[in-house]
Amino acid sequence: MPHLNRRTLLGGLLATASVPALAACSSGITSLDGDGGGGSGGGSSSGGLTIGTANFTENQILGYLYAAALGAAGVKTDVRANLGTREILIPAIKGGDIDLLPEYQGALLHYLDPKSEITEEGEMQNALAVALPKGTQILPYGRAENSDVFAVTEEAAEKYGLRTLADLAKHNGKLVIGAAPEVKKRTVGAVGLKDVYGVEFKEFKSLDSSGPLVKGALKKGDVDVANLFSTDTDIKAEGWIVLTDPKNLIPGQHIVPLIADRKADSTVRKALARLGTVLTTPELTELNRKVDKDKKNPQEVADTWAEAHL
Amino acid sequence: MTIDTSWIGSHAGELTSLSVSHLQAALSAVLFGLLISLPLAVVAHRIRPLRGVLLGLSNVLFTIPSIAIFVLLLPVSGLTRTTTVIGLTIYTLVVLLRNTVEGLDSVPARTKEAAVAMGTRPLRVLLTVELPLALPVIMAGVRIATVMSISLVSVATYIGDGGLGQLFTDGFQRNFPTPVVAGVVLTLLLALLADALLVAAQYALTPWTRTRKQRA
Amino acid sequence: MYELFTDLGSWLVGSQQWTGGDGIGHRLAEHLQYSLIATLIAAAIALPVGLLIGHTGRGAFLAINLSSFGRALPTVGLVVLVFLASGLSMTPVYVALVALAVPAIVTNTYAGMSAVDPEVRDAARGQGMRGHQVLLQVELPLALPLIMTGLRLALIQVVSTATIAAYVSFGGLGRYVFDGLAQRDLVQVLGGAVLVAVLAVALDLALAGLQRFLFRHRRGATA
Repeated sequence: MPHLNRRTLLGGLLATASVPALAACSSGITSLDGDGGGGSGGGSSSGGLTIGTANFTENQILGYLYAAALGAAGVKTDVRANLGTREILIPAIKGGDIDLLPEYQGALLHYLDPKSEITEEGEMQNALAVALPKGTQILPYGRAENSDVFAVTEEAAEKYGLRTLADLAKHNGKLVIGAAPEVKKRTVGAVGLKDVYGVEFKEFKSLDSSGPLVKGALKKGDVDVANLFSTDTDIKAEGWIVLTDPKNLIPGQHIVPLIADRKADSTVRKALARLGTVLTTPELTELNRKVDKDKKNPQEVADTWAEAHL
Repeated sequence: MTIDTSWIGSHAGELTSLSVSHLQAALSAVLFGLLISLPLAVVAHRIRPLRGVLLGLSNVLFTIPSIAIFVLLLPVSGLTRTTTVIGLTIYTLVVLLRNTVEGLDSVPARTKEAAVAMGTRPLRVLLTVELPLALPVIMAGVRIATVMSISLVSVATYIGDGGLGQLFTDGFQRNFPTPVVAGVVLTLLLALLADALLVAAQYALTPWTRTRKQRA
Repeated sequence: MYELFTDLGSWLVGSQQWTGGDGIGHRLAEHLQYSLIATLIAAAIALPVGLLIGHTGRGAFLAINLSSFGRALPTVGLVVLVFLASGLSMTPVYVALVALAVPAIVTNTYAGMSAVDPEVRDAARGQGMRGHQVLLQVELPLALPLIMTGLRLALIQVVSTATIAAYVSFGGLGRYVFDGLAQRDLVQVLGGAVLVAVLAVALDLALAGLQRFLFRHRRGATA
């Protein structure tokens, strides 16, 4: 019978004070860069590579699309779906847990360099190349794009007179924003909205990435503004209004592969470049819909598309 | 809420591999938990002052949310199976340590004295007298730890592992109950199966408890 | 390692950290509220069931195996399942927490009742006590220590598990754990974890104190 004794519990509390330290003492490990050797070339995909994906549908589909494209080129892959946020994934690629990651240009750049004001795609590629952690590189960006958007319901748009992100500042301290927890500290998020547009929310609600929580909350009116993805088909279906971004806070978000130098050989580059030139935004949006609405498997959807298009 | 039974049929392969991965994580944790808790329990049993500290420490670890343990392990072992297993092992320790100490305590002093009087060496006494007699209580702990571990594996879905737990986050993100139901049912089945196997193992390992009962 | 600890120190004492909607004070109060409500609901269900099984001796198999079943139920799955069935509210969280707490209370209550010496029970009947009198005046007081153990165990598990409320957008100390995970802010995660542990230990001490208080009374009454 489990029995918690008062005295041992107290004694244990004192003794435990040293335990979390164990977890923390090696926090340096993940900052050790993979021995990618810096520059390009030198990588090899012959041992196969591990693709990591973030905790939302589209990123998982992209992961499986990468896997399908690489598989067609004879590269073995292992997809690890739903690993978490960029904040978790970037250290993981540095630490060697994963080798390849579907990323988004602007969001990645802002994560690496929050002060960056570059929005043009070509310049972003250059800036990314500089800002990336050692041992990693980005490959050419693809045609498909998925931006962060801030959306409101039609009623709220009318009630508060909201058209642009700047309009939000007229109601400082009154509106509630819902977004994934990481967006609270991101430039393309609460931080940038305040710095660029002077917007201050009454409350930041930690929800999810264009998932059931944030969309449910917007529908119910629990939040006034929701951070969604432009490729989310619910925006159109629900008639939500996407606030425009006159000051270009939100950079272009072309999909771009982030890869560890150790795996970036010409086979991988070619296969992913081909995928990037073929996959379009409407197609990606449709794939999202198939998974979210028709409940198809991300892998199945990706494989079927790849067979038909690659 | 409707359950799409055809989904289950068409995903049998995936469900099987998730179950295997799930069980593997849980059972490794129990195994490591045993390897660590047995020596610790012997120490705690022999050296009284350490007993309070060790048991208290494990009790407080029990109050820390499992999700936090997994996250705090990220700098150490990253997004790997290792993180899952270390996290689960910490939880099994709570149960295994306590039960092993209680098991050793339950061995009558006279039995030990008799063995020592016969000239048996201390290590031998431990291995051939104390541990076998403590086995029923230890096995009770192993059963609790195993079932608990099987249930807790799914929490590791928040760090990209979690075996059947992946069905929970997937169903959640897509508003799709079928994988969630499948995950819950399979988790319960795995726990039930593991528990039944452990009962059978205990029955086979402790024949003397049976004869004693028959005599009584 | 040292750094994480000094950071934790400044996180815990930071003044802006204690006030406001995302402040420790508010999160602690939410966490306490979730935990107490869930444990009270669980006790309201489990105590009568445990007492009845112990008193009548019927359903002992259920009482013994319920705790194993409760341990096997994956909390994350249960929360998600109830969320998908009933929509976004605290219901999924409470259902999961109650499901976690009920088995511990039922099993311990039953264990306490079955540990009552049958001779004591017979003696009480022999004195002409009725069924409910035996239950309330003889069995319950004798079973109380184990019942309290069950309640304390349930409460500790509930406090630790109430973290899950944050997964479905609610508050409590789990907010720090889940937000910290998403932001990879380990100080925040550690802070949340430490606060949960402290709350669990504090509540356990409070219940232990209550238990001693109850016993002192009883001893006084029988003396």
